[in-house]
Amino acid sequence: TMAFRHKNTRRIEGLDSNVWVEFTKLAADPSIVNLGQGLPDVSPPSYVKEELVKATAVDRLNQYTRGFGHPSLVKALSQVYERVCGRKIDPLTDILVSVGAYGSLFSAIQALIEEGDEVLIIEPFYDCYEPMVKMAGAKPVFIPLRCKNDGNSTSSADWVLDPAELANKFNSKTKAIIVNTPHNPTGKVFTREELQVIADLCIKHDTLCISDEVYEWMVYKGNKHIKIATLPGMWERTITIGSAGKTYSVTGWKLGWSIGPQSLIKHLQVVHQNTLYACPTPLQEALAQAFWIDYKRMDDPDCYFYSLARELESKRDRMARLLQEVGLNPVVPDGGYFIIVDISTLNVDLSGVDEKQHYDYKFVKWMISSKKLSAIPLSAFCGPETKKQFEKYIRFCFIKKDSTLDAAEVILKNWNKQTA
Amino acid sequence: LSLSSHFLPLSLQAKMSRPVQARRLEGVDKNIWVEFVKLATTYSKVNLGQGFPDFPPPDFLKEAFLRALSGENHMLHQYTRGFGHPPLVKILAQFFGKLLGQDLDPMTNVMVTVGAYQALFCCFQAFVDEGDEVIIIEPFFDCYEPMVKMAGGTPVFVPLRPKAPKGGKLMSSADWQLDPAELASKFSKRTKAIVLNSPNNPLGKVFSRGELELIADLCVKHDVLCISDEVYEWLVYDGKEHVRIASLQGMWDRTVTIGSAGKTFSATGWKVGWIVGPTRLMQHLHTVHQNSVYHCATVAQEAVAQGFQRELELYGKPNSYFIQLPKELQQKRDLLVQSLDAAGMKPIVPEGTYFLVADISEFKSDVPDVPNSDEPYDSRFAKWMVKNKGLAAIPLSAFYCGAHKNNYSHFIRFCFAKEEATLKAANDILQKWKREKTSS
Repeated sequence: TMAFRHKNTRRIEGLDSNVWVEFTKLAADPSIVNLGQGLPDVSPPSYVKEELVKATAVDRLNQYTRGFGHPSLVKALSQVYERVCGRKIDPLTDILVSVGAYGSLFSAIQALIEEGDEVLIIEPFYDCYEPMVKMAGAKPVFIPLRCKNDGNSTSSADWVLDPAELANKFNSKTKAIIVNTPHNPTGKVFTREELQVIADLCIKHDTLCISDEVYEWMVYKGNKHIKIATLPGMWERTITIGSAGKTYSVTGWKLGWSIGPQSLIKHLQVVHQNTLYACPTPLQEALAQAFWIDYKRMDDPDCYFYSLARELESKRDRMARLLQEVGLNPVVPDGGYFIIVDISTLNVDLSGVDEKQHYDYKFVKWMISSKKLSAIPLSAFCGPETKKQFEKYIRFCFIKKDSTLDAAEVILKNWNKQTA
Repeated sequence: LSLSSHFLPLSLQAKMSRPVQARRLEGVDKNIWVEFVKLATTYSKVNLGQGFPDFPPPDFLKEAFLRALSGENHMLHQYTRGFGHPPLVKILAQFFGKLLGQDLDPMTNVMVTVGAYQALFCCFQAFVDEGDEVIIIEPFFDCYEPMVKMAGGTPVFVPLRPKAPKGGKLMSSADWQLDPAELASKFSKRTKAIVLNSPNNPLGKVFSRGELELIADLCVKHDVLCISDEVYEWLVYDGKEHVRIASLQGMWDRTVTIGSAGKTFSATGWKVGWIVGPTRLMQHLHTVHQNSVYHCATVAQEAVAQGFQRELELYGKPNSYFIQLPKELQQKRDLLVQSLDAAGMKPIVPEGTYFLVADISEFKSDVPDVPNSDEPYDSRFAKWMVKNKGLAAIPLSAFYCGAHKNNYSHFIRFCFAKEEATLKAANDILQKWKREKTSS
């Protein structure tokens, strides 16, 4: 008999490790205060849960629905986003519903990116962008956000792209740039001017834009979420991605969508019909009903899109205060539900620990086991050249109920006492 | 720098003249369902086309779903473990461990996917590289071919060939068989995998132990992987046994077995599937999954886990859903067989699944002759039938590769996972049609 020759395909070579697999396991211990992975421990709004109960009671809704998106859901999405974008959006041709924003990113990348292409990724980045680009056979090209104030950052607005550096990264091979605003992990909300710089380059080089806007509703006072697809010349070259999980605090529903011109979306639909075909029906129906409820009150401050942001803003402020009280300088985010902080000033000596790992990885593991508090190391969100730059930062998630933040407060307040 | 900006307009022109989409989408853009589902939605009064039940999932499953939703634990609305919700992978490991005769680790031998469809996608992406050949048995569930192509592989087709049934009897799906020599000839140095679907969609064939041993021997001889799509594993009739190829000699290490909650529990809209296999193959499926969708919906997994818990407790007992469902479906099968036979279409009695294929070669109808048409006869027939008779079915040529579509173009596939009222309505249409023909 021949030796078993079956190894993995080339497309997944080197893509097997994953920060979440590692850190979710570590933080799974219930005694640990988990501010790591980005998931709410607050309940979704009750009407959202009720709509799902109602949907499962309808027999037909337990069977297959339209592959590219349940009709009532794509209709609701087209209405909400027509209003936001100020342009007509065809529910059947301009929208694809997928398994979370994650699945939407995958569809976009598989549809439009291939070997020979380069894809610009802004660092730090949501970690899946890099392996997805690689799996499509393309080359990720990184460009870092740089701190304006010589490293003394107090706000996510301090982190900016250098326009000349950005321009230099574009060439004839640049197929797409991935933009994430509000940004994970910094919470930066790109301004219109910043997006215009990116848009100008996209138009000049005929580059596509994949715009990950999952945190679009989580924008804090003084900031406005701008959709790059609404800038002149951008609609025809942009795929905009959204998420039910982030919009309605139901990450476990795994529903997301891509919106864009038919000329691009049709290719995402081809990927979709050859990968998962359809998404769960009752979840889509419930989401559609929830959207109708909030669509009708989009002029009302009680609309969940706005009330959630208000709720999160006070949690953000609380989290920032707690970190400041320990003597840290958190980077206060303008949006999203994460906050990053430089922990090098705590001077925790981990030189004895495994040298191959970056400092932030070692720090978080140490913090989980000795302080019972979890976070995510920022170097997980960096390309190879930048990891060293960001290895003194960790990311906390603050979409947590009061009791969780209370427990985090106790740990942080007692921090110095324990290490003394 | 000035040199590159000098060339920029030319290279920009080149980029703009290239198609925007990736080459991997070449030849995979057509999809029979997009077309036929639209036709059925527009014209059909009785839809026996797309494969889904028109009866609800069992009460115990709907109750499990409601319990999960209304319980105190609202964390069921948040992410669960990416490779599969712990309660679900645990029960699947227990259940399938027994059936496969293996000690299964829920964390490394089982992975949950968004339906069996995504399970198939993960398998092709994990194992099929450019230049690899994948053997597909015709007729086949249509997604196998585009998925192999999208992975850069070359599909190699081998047909089930119908043998004439013994005098006077109706043909059975068992009469469609592989030619052993023909099958063996399809294995080459480049063969990476074979896709097996038993019970088979669309024919309803349930491969016998002997037939599976033939395939297994070739897999072992040529060191080939087996992707075993067993979504209809519980839907077998007339006391037939569903044999799992992974349980045959030499096969566990080279087989990934796919299942579906949609088919198992009559809940196709929940899109929960799974793959079971050896760790050294599963690890690559994990890699694809974590880089494509990562997590599957939590609540659905929780409910399916509870469904399996119930079935584990009732396994082999008369009120097990896995015993009741095939019993009910067998009766529906027999009803449809009678209707088609009486109408002059020649049903091929399926041993399994909820599909039935009928031979329409002698069913003279009003479908206009279209000389020099590229479209196979059965496709034109099915379209004409739904538009003019309101009865939706799927042409068998949809389940063949392009080169072979015209070899088997006088068969259509019906789905009989339907309420009795639906099957009676189908019967009314068929008998009326027959009367109209004989009277004209």
